[in-house]
Amino acid sequence: MNTKHENPNRSAASIVEFCRFARSKGIPVGIQQVLAAAEAASTVGVADSDRFSFALRAALCSSQEEWEKFRHIFDEFWRQPHGAPDAEKVREPRYRNAMKQSNDARLLIGLESDTNSSGEGDGRLVSGASSEQRLKRVDFSEASSAQMAELERLALRLLRQMSVRLSRRMKIDTEGNRIDIRRSIRRNITRGGDPLVLAYKSRKASKKRLVVFLDISGSMNLYSLFLLRFAYALQKHFKRVNTFLFSTRVVEVTDLLRAPQLSRAMSGVAQRAPEWSGGTRIGACLCEFNRGAGRKIPTRDTCFVILSDGWDTGAPEVLAAELRVTRGRVQKLLWLNPLLGLKDYQPITRGIRAALPYVDRFAAAHNLESLLALEKYL
Amino acid sequence: MATGVNETVLGPKRMMPSSHKAPSRKEIEDVDSLIREFERLDYVTDTALATAVYLSTRLRKPLLIEGHAGLGKTEVAKVLASALETRLIRLQCYEGLDVSSAVYEWNYQKQLLAIKLEEKSDHTVEEKEKHIFSREFLLRRPLLLSILEEDAPPVLLIDEIDRADEAFEAYLLELLSDFQVSVPELGTIKAKHVPYVILTSNRSRELSDALKRRCLYHWIDYPGFEKEMKIVRLRLPGVEEQLAVQVVRLVQKVRQLELSKPPGVAETLDCAEAAMALGKSRMDVEAVEQTLGCLVKSMEDSAALRSADIEKLLSQSN
Repeated sequence: MNTKHENPNRSAASIVEFCRFARSKGIPVGIQQVLAAAEAASTVGVADSDRFSFALRAALCSSQEEWEKFRHIFDEFWRQPHGAPDAEKVREPRYRNAMKQSNDARLLIGLESDTNSSGEGDGRLVSGASSEQRLKRVDFSEASSAQMAELERLALRLLRQMSVRLSRRMKIDTEGNRIDIRRSIRRNITRGGDPLVLAYKSRKASKKRLVVFLDISGSMNLYSLFLLRFAYALQKHFKRVNTFLFSTRVVEVTDLLRAPQLSRAMSGVAQRAPEWSGGTRIGACLCEFNRGAGRKIPTRDTCFVILSDGWDTGAPEVLAAELRVTRGRVQKLLWLNPLLGLKDYQPITRGIRAALPYVDRFAAAHNLESLLALEKYL
Repeated sequence: MATGVNETVLGPKRMMPSSHKAPSRKEIEDVDSLIREFERLDYVTDTALATAVYLSTRLRKPLLIEGHAGLGKTEVAKVLASALETRLIRLQCYEGLDVSSAVYEWNYQKQLLAIKLEEKSDHTVEEKEKHIFSREFLLRRPLLLSILEEDAPPVLLIDEIDRADEAFEAYLLELLSDFQVSVPELGTIKAKHVPYVILTSNRSRELSDALKRRCLYHWIDYPGFEKEMKIVRLRLPGVEEQLAVQVVRLVQKVRQLELSKPPGVAETLDCAEAAMALGKSRMDVEAVEQTLGCLVKSMEDSAALRSADIEKLLSQSN
């Protein structure tokens, strides 16, 4: 098949190199794909550059977006200035210095000890059961750093209990309501097949999928820090949680929050997060989400949780339209708003007003107690 | 709602005609012969798609074809089956598709009858159980059928996989890697011939990464003018050249409007065919109005098309 006689090792090496290059350009190429690419290339041959590229594309891409990006990546890697692909030459990878760190975000989410700005006001020492109750009600924006650490521990513990409770609730629900003919027949063979004892079945209730959509814009500064930890705790105890951060752009941090230690998770998030303390465009961000990652989420068992104060600089119509789309896809849409903890707060910001018709539950999120109340709505 | 039943006969054993010679099954030698073969079967393809299909037959990897509706994704599997002169087994996916309608199910009525018939016999309970859970009582659904094929690897079309739920996708993953099915009462059934697998998706949701990683991938885009003309000529041999050109140009313009469901190639063919049936030899505003239902399939889209000024679209397309 392959007319060219080249050193198979060298051509395999350049395929591998190309795969690494593609990975650096944002196509998630796994080892399976690398193998498929090598096999595909040797089946089609490198004589015809179009076919060679089609073969690699079929093997390496797995979505329309990657498909469209591929041409450029291929050209950039294989084509020499005079235009012919050169499989013999292994290019020097060009992506080594692509990793840049942004440190400014680190401070904001409180990796360093001085976590919070307004903590000094009431640094009450807390201990014992009643203090736990009190701690649950401390507004995050007023918690001192000592309280913060305490809160974190408490949150992790309570969330674990919550997830256990939720899964138990699911088990009781699995009383069957449809007759399982297969098992019924089996059970009644000894009685000559007369269906005396029926077996039942029902759809296995699965744990709900949660999507957390967390606002990290400037107006949320006092809360986003803790809410992010809350998301981390949620992800630890619920198997199917996806977490997204947004301000003017959306970024998924699900994988980072899976890190075993909170501190590592947080530093990862700090590097990836879009713009801490920037402006908010909830509508546009939801739009980005709906067009992109949002389609990955299965429809009927998802509970979508927005954590935001609803200060939106975008047009309320956009927000309303996008919320309608999201609402159509998920089972439940919750909006948790830290400002709701304020005594005389009225949901009158334009954003919130536009959103309310599509929200199943509008609740507070200013302290641990309110976050734990989430259990009721799931 | 689709029922997930395959298109072929579900009998326990299909008698092959004696003229059928199993080893004379076709092989596709290279990309060019695949293009020729597809064209012979009235399917216009390009090198990219042909390469992907060819590779999937060569590397024996499933091919995932994504793209908008009406661009001939399903057709690829059908044509491939005819090109390979093998059988097409189709599984139409839908929400709630489960193992009993996709893989296998026991024939309960027959089992109950068998129990009754054996009542007087002196078989032990174990023997009876073994009997009613033998292959005789197994209803083969498409996926099981695809690995039971005796003579040659069939083409297995898993259509609109994005409609099935996640759990099914996970099951499919297992099947696609081992090509075996285990039935608790019978044991494991292994494929005699690994089928050629084509999956299609309309991208109504994203598929799992694990599944995608296992497949070769092809994205079908709207065809360019030349390719679409070729398709129209091939599929509608009686069409007048002028009409075909007008319809194709119009459709290509309509696709650039921001419609919720842009017309695919199937719609182009429908529209041209409708115009022919109405005795039109060229498209005018009236003809477009009359065949509008072929092009757009919702009230909002037809309103959008009308407000885009049909006359202008047509004059641009002349």
